[in-house]
Amino acid sequence: MNPYYPIPIRIKKIIPETATIKTFILDGMPIKFDAGQFAELTVPGGGEAPFTPSGSPYADKMEFTIMKVGRVTEALFARKEGDLVGVRGPFGKAYPLHEYKGKDIFIVGGGVGFAPLRSLFLSLVHNIGDYKKIYVRYGARTPQDIVYKYLIPEWRKIDKVDILMTVDVGDPTWTGRVGVVTTILDVIPVDVKVAPTIVCGPPLMMKFTTQRLAQAGFAERNIYLSMEKNMVCGIGKCNHCRAGKYYCCKDGPVLTWDIVKDIEDPFL
Amino acid sequence: MVEENKAHLTVFDGKKPFDPNFTRIRTVQNIKHILFPSRDIVARFPNDRDLRPKIQVIFGLKACDIRGIEVYDRVFLNNDPIDPFYKIRRENTLLIAADCPEPEPSCFCNIVGVKPFAEKIADIALAVVAKGFILEPLTPKGTAWVEEISSFLENTGPAQVNEREESRGRALKTLAKINEQALAPDLSQRVEKAGSQAIRQARDECVECFGCLHCCPTCYCFLLNDYGRGKEMERVRIWDACYYSAYARVGGGANPRGKFDKRFWNRFQCKFNYFLQYEKFYACSGCGRCGRGCSAKIDIRKILSQA
Repeated sequence: MNPYYPIPIRIKKIIPETATIKTFILDGMPIKFDAGQFAELTVPGGGEAPFTPSGSPYADKMEFTIMKVGRVTEALFARKEGDLVGVRGPFGKAYPLHEYKGKDIFIVGGGVGFAPLRSLFLSLVHNIGDYKKIYVRYGARTPQDIVYKYLIPEWRKIDKVDILMTVDVGDPTWTGRVGVVTTILDVIPVDVKVAPTIVCGPPLMMKFTTQRLAQAGFAERNIYLSMEKNMVCGIGKCNHCRAGKYYCCKDGPVLTWDIVKDIEDPFL
Repeated sequence: MVEENKAHLTVFDGKKPFDPNFTRIRTVQNIKHILFPSRDIVARFPNDRDLRPKIQVIFGLKACDIRGIEVYDRVFLNNDPIDPFYKIRRENTLLIAADCPEPEPSCFCNIVGVKPFAEKIADIALAVVAKGFILEPLTPKGTAWVEEISSFLENTGPAQVNEREESRGRALKTLAKINEQALAPDLSQRVEKAGSQAIRQARDECVECFGCLHCCPTCYCFLLNDYGRGKEMERVRIWDACYYSAYARVGGGANPRGKFDKRFWNRFQCKFNYFLQYEKFYACSGCGRCGRGCSAKIDIRKILSQA
């Protein structure tokens, strides 16, 4: 087994989500993963970068929702349906879903950070009987920056799912809430002593959301944070994703606040 | 090969006379590229191919370079998943370590837990005595090799063993004189808690050439770079170093070690704190190459003693 070799697979479908975000649906499930784990996606000729799948681990096609921010994602955005990409993984630890059983689950996403949370959300919905209720709190910069607009109405219909959204800046078409994501965290209708809360978003959003959740009384080890680091090898060897003594690729990419709080500038 | 009183790494080619010299300290050149090349094709896409290993012998490496290999073994072999490229080279390489009879002022293996002679990891420990060499196998691979050439060997007598022990004792004494001060027993905590002022002071003379990391036998960071080869793609593993500004930067631009002070200290955290926590020994060999290779002549011992 060569851990550096990406499994070749074609892009089946590309869904534009926003001006800078697209969802890439691959033509199959090249690797088996659990929600929370990540993969390395190779764009032949464009390089490789780590992404957390955004689709359900139970689906027959792997999905990634990706924002164009750098070299690899730019190369990926130039690819068309039918083009070949490569996938390595899965890497890192999955969310400990067995520990979430019988509890409320409080998910907070910001911007494209909602992508990996969707994979978690779909995993939870797949066995929804195991959990008390799933709360989703999602913030985007503007209504145009909201991902999965075409899916959210369907999710709202699911029993035991409670979704609230907000945008930093509204527009004439927007009738929902306006304000940064922490403004929809004033009311936290879960038993914070036992409930897990899972956060993913841009660095500043992570920082303030974590502060708010800790202040609301969530246990430090129940606050799950997605760490965005430069995972190169994915297997705990190349050292790039080090955060303190932890390897984000092996110990993460999701770490809990009791660990993250001791890392210097964790959200940088 | 010894030139200007320094040992150099040479490739044995059979045409030139073989004139090994084991009296000097470790070679000027790093030996890590023999097991971990600076540029290594680790995958081909879409169709992968296997690596065909060469059988090789590293002859005369010193205990400090053995510490480097010990670090690599922990990273690439003892932690899942195993790195198949390191593994196949390691398995096909015989390590014959030579005693280091005359440590020099740049040496500090004794303070990082390394002796000037090999006792493990190497397949064979070689010591020069008046009437030839003593070969002591340290691994099954070494034993098999010594057995294979046993018709050329004689049994070692007590006088020769004594000669080796005396030479080793002298080397240990020399090292104790060179490095009188041991590292602080709580060095890892001191490194972890170092304040910004102390770090600024430690890196003050650094000119950011990063020679220290590239010549370090325990540094193992790498990057994966992809290159197009017609319709195929080659994935090349190249050495990287945590002092480069883009080392930890993510696609979106955030950089946990954007300031050089933080990158400078990461080397100390990595070698003297994090690695120790996981593997119970320092990821430093005491070979002194970092100091000898440093453009600003910074001695890591000074930084460690002030940490």
